[in-house]
Amino acid sequence: MTSSVPLTSPPFAWPHGSLDKGKVVQCALSRVCGGCGTSLGRPIAFLGTTEEVDRNAFHAPPLHEACARALRETGIAGASVVLTAGFEYVRPTADALDRRPTFVPNSIIGPA
Amino acid sequence: MAIADVAEYAHLTKDEVEQLGREFDAIRAEIEESRGAKDAAYINKVITTQRWMAAGARIGMIVSSPFPRARKPVLAASAVTLGLAKILENMEIGHNVMHGQWDWMNDPEIHSSTWEWDTGQPAEQWKHSHNYIHHQFTNVLGVDNDIGYGVLRMAREQKWTPVALGQPVYNALLAALFQWGVALHDLDLEAIRKGQKDPEEMKRQLKQIAKKGRNQILKDYVLYPALSGKEWKSTIKANATANLMRNIWSYLIIFCGHFPDGALHFTEEELEDETRAEWYLRQIFGTANIEGGPLFHVMSGNLSYQIEHHLFPDLPSNRYAEISPRVQALCEKYGIPYSSGPLHRQYGQVLRTVMKLSLPNKMTKDDRPPTGADITIEHRRKAEEERQIRRTELGGWSRSAS
Repeated sequence: MTSSVPLTSPPFAWPHGSLDKGKVVQCALSRVCGGCGTSLGRPIAFLGTTEEVDRNAFHAPPLHEACARALRETGIAGASVVLTAGFEYVRPTADALDRRPTFVPNSIIGPA
Repeated sequence: MAIADVAEYAHLTKDEVEQLGREFDAIRAEIEESRGAKDAAYINKVITTQRWMAAGARIGMIVSSPFPRARKPVLAASAVTLGLAKILENMEIGHNVMHGQWDWMNDPEIHSSTWEWDTGQPAEQWKHSHNYIHHQFTNVLGVDNDIGYGVLRMAREQKWTPVALGQPVYNALLAALFQWGVALHDLDLEAIRKGQKDPEEMKRQLKQIAKKGRNQILKDYVLYPALSGKEWKSTIKANATANLMRNIWSYLIIFCGHFPDGALHFTEEELEDETRAEWYLRQIFGTANIEGGPLFHVMSGNLSYQIEHHLFPDLPSNRYAEISPRVQALCEKYGIPYSSGPLHRQYGQVLRTVMKLSLPNKMTKDDRPPTGADITIEHRRKAEEERQIRRTELGGWSRSAS
């Protein structure tokens, strides 16, 4: 299922041009799309850099597939989209240099 | 109180807190790696059982109509079976599916984005009020709407008004009508009372609730009674009984998971940059388990393992039983409390809190560690400029520096 709702402007989880931590947590737990702010569908898409794809851990929150494609064009969070059925939401540890939470897709369907 | 002020946590150093976090991480990783076909078979079996129970109950109500002798016992059995089916659907299936516990199966039906449950609250609103607000801000006064559901005063830090005198009555009404209390949960009644709710958002949510509520009422009080012909009144009574059973049971499990004496309340300070280990600790301090047998745990949606559920809300619920002794052992090893007790004891403490807090603080004695002397918490998230800048140091340093 893909989103029929257009991306909000600015995107829901990027209200000031960069990722808002509170919105990221909200997206992760409420299961809403970081692009349009409405309920996620299936599959769930993650947008990230090649590095994020390689380590299977993303900083950008879950997205609708259509929102991920639209956001990919803006270059806001990388150029790779990975589709998954589910994900783990990973909170940062005290010794992590990067204190942003990450998302680990746990049932990858494939690249979009 | 802030997590750093919890007395049971005070003896832990920063390194010990982080080590405890790593031990919980290891449990989590182990379950994630081992989940598979056996877990999938479990949830499929529960769903199949629940559907047969619901179907059998509905059919029983319809086919008993022409048989006057069998009608009463069949109706009674059907009402109880439907009540149990609704409990299973709401607690072990709907609640857990919407947490994303089964998303890894990639099943189009058993997925957090597609499940709509058999209760008055729309799934979308539940995922916001429960998965986000309640699980992220667990027992945080002024933010977590589960603290009294906007109706009850459940913490001494909540301001007392004469309205609280009616708490024993509101409590009984909330239990009996819990489905509708939950339906209004994400509206945030307190925010509406104070004029802090966005009117557009309120309108959108009310429309969603009205649509879902109408469908629930049509199903239980119009459609199925109509199928029972002239015995429609009996079917209405049986369905109302089933809904009452589910309401009281889910109220009991939810209240016993957060309001016995062992579960603490927190303030919003220090949560913004909370580390994973601190978050784990807050979940343990803010929750309480209920003891019982395997069937009791299934019927409670495994929320009787409330501590384990709050530590790992998106791990499959059928694994909480095996995690529980390990969590308990870790709590013992690090000298932190693991609040657990039988249903009657946990609910006794909840009821005592409801009664006591109907009165002003000066008339009663506190049963749990207070948030702070004479603190009254407003019901709203703090604005950015009101929040304290959080210290990143943990453990002994932050406590001694305060």
